[in-house]
Amino acid sequence: MAKSWMMSRASEDSAAIVVVGYGNTLRGDDGIGWRAVESLARRNLPASTVVLTAHQLDPELARTIAQAKLALFVDAERGGKPGSVRCQAVSSDAPDSDFSHQLTPAALLALAQNLYGTSPVAFEITMCGEGFDVGEGLSPICEAALPRLVEAIAQKIGI
Amino acid sequence: MKRITIDPVTRIEGHAKVTIQLDDNGRVAGTEFHVTQVRGFEKFTEGRPFYEMPGITARICGICPVSHLLASSKACDAIMAVRIPPTARKLRELVHAAQIVQSHALSFFYLSAPDLLLGMDCDPATRNIVGLIAAHPEMARDGIELRKFGLQIVEAVAGERVHGFGIVPGGISAPLQPQVRDHLLVDLPSAKAIARRTLDFFKRALDGYAEEIEFFGSAPMMSAGLVDRLGNLQLYDGMLRFRAADGTITADGIEGDDYATWIGETTLRDSYMKAPYFKPRGFPGGVYRVGPLARLNAIDQCGTPVADAELVEFRERFGAPAHSAFLYHCARLIEIVYALERIEVLLDDEQVLDKHVRAAAGVNAHEGIGMIEAPRGILIHHYNVDDDGAIVKANLIVATGHNNLAIGRAIQQVSERFVDGAKLTEGMINRVSAVVRAYDPCLSCSTHAAGEIAMRVTLVGADGEVLDDVSRF
Repeated sequence: MAKSWMMSRASEDSAAIVVVGYGNTLRGDDGIGWRAVESLARRNLPASTVVLTAHQLDPELARTIAQAKLALFVDAERGGKPGSVRCQAVSSDAPDSDFSHQLTPAALLALAQNLYGTSPVAFEITMCGEGFDVGEGLSPICEAALPRLVEAIAQKIGI
Repeated sequence: MKRITIDPVTRIEGHAKVTIQLDDNGRVAGTEFHVTQVRGFEKFTEGRPFYEMPGITARICGICPVSHLLASSKACDAIMAVRIPPTARKLRELVHAAQIVQSHALSFFYLSAPDLLLGMDCDPATRNIVGLIAAHPEMARDGIELRKFGLQIVEAVAGERVHGFGIVPGGISAPLQPQVRDHLLVDLPSAKAIARRTLDFFKRALDGYAEEIEFFGSAPMMSAGLVDRLGNLQLYDGMLRFRAADGTITADGIEGDDYATWIGETTLRDSYMKAPYFKPRGFPGGVYRVGPLARLNAIDQCGTPVADAELVEFRERFGAPAHSAFLYHCARLIEIVYALERIEVLLDDEQVLDKHVRAAAGVNAHEGIGMIEAPRGILIHHYNVDDDGAIVKANLIVATGHNNLAIGRAIQQVSERFVDGAKLTEGMINRVSAVVRAYDPCLSCSTHAAGEIAMRVTLVGADGEVLDDVSRF
């Protein structure tokens, strides 16, 4: 991702909107989250938006999202119709999980709430992948559907 | 004969199990430490261009990819026969120090603090970071802040927080921008304050762990670490030193190119992890330790003021060399202090902003060896290439491998002290696991969520009957 480290760094802990695309870009459609937010970052985003990529959600993100008003977690999903997009609210009331350095969106929200006393409104926006074998690049069906995923994120942001 | 199996050992990087053999009287007769996954990087990289090796081998690990990037790039520097620019060397040390901070913070705050702050006998349902947050939220926040600080520097130099692309053969891919340096300096005082109060807290807490200090892998053995010509701690560069259990220096001034003269490798039954040993003493007599405690034992001094003061106090309290594996935790915190002091020196050095950061060359040697101190100990990458630069042979000696034999001995000692064959308890199982965690082994080296993995301990009688069985998820 051709990102500006300085832009990311300067706004990361005071952003109103945090978008995190995560997954493994070396496992085919598991890289959907990265590809979607890379595309999103090329749009004219509100000034208080920070777009991040990660292999997985780790506890360090708790402070970043704690101070935001909206957090969007963009990920690949298994089991449904390949290319289908789903958006669902994430609650910080989810049961605690026993984790070390890898979290679910709900656990991350709960961590932010427990440690910093606040957590944002959050949504998990996912697309069903078709293949997760070793290799770079999305399957044709997910590549074709990628604009729909980006549009779903943009709608939540309000652009 | 009865057998207890702890499979897997939790809150470590990778997958391992422990087998404890009991005699007919329920006493510990022997123990084995098995690493149950095979990685194969040495084999499947054959034929790849040498300059791809940093990017490929960084994928060995999700916690310390910077270590593999650095050791691999140093091996590639040797194949290119270049001396990297001074600024590139400083940036490599900077990103390495930052990695030490984040990796040690992960080990202490996320993986081991539940044992240390909530107690070895605490209910496993709450003996995790969630329980830690509930009981000590300020400690959890400190862990997050410290790790985040280290990862920000890694991102600034390597391009990504995990599996970055900025450390390359010949140097660094891009200079450090002045405004980025300035931002990093803003957060440095807070990181130093966290390291200070955490170390102070843990030094006081050690009073409550007298039994663990005495019995957690306290058998005297050699220590190995990298030092400079003055005997200072060196993490990125330096020469190999072995210090005997009685404190005398056994071997010193060993360059990376000469490692094979001093370090032999063998394999163990039922484990995919190799077992390096000190060649002059043979196997298994040449057992030695690496990593934070071994480094503090091997060096004469750290070479930075605050860490040196802490080292003096540490040695007065626990001896020099110190032998209990439980003290790895304390050594880790002292090294965080040292790494932050080095980060400050490097960021204050205007040369770190110089634009000349990479030397370019092709294949000028058929062999290259890179040696550094990874967070968990000495890491060696050794490549042979053909005229086109394709890898003919790769040998990787990872930090945890050096500790293989030492971990095995520590498990034996802890088992003999704490395991009662007649009855399995959580505290017993956890102490065996905790002595493995004290070494912070990076077995896979890939990340995983501790809570998703079950621990199962089964006690089986000589006739195959299950006498006791404890599981948790």
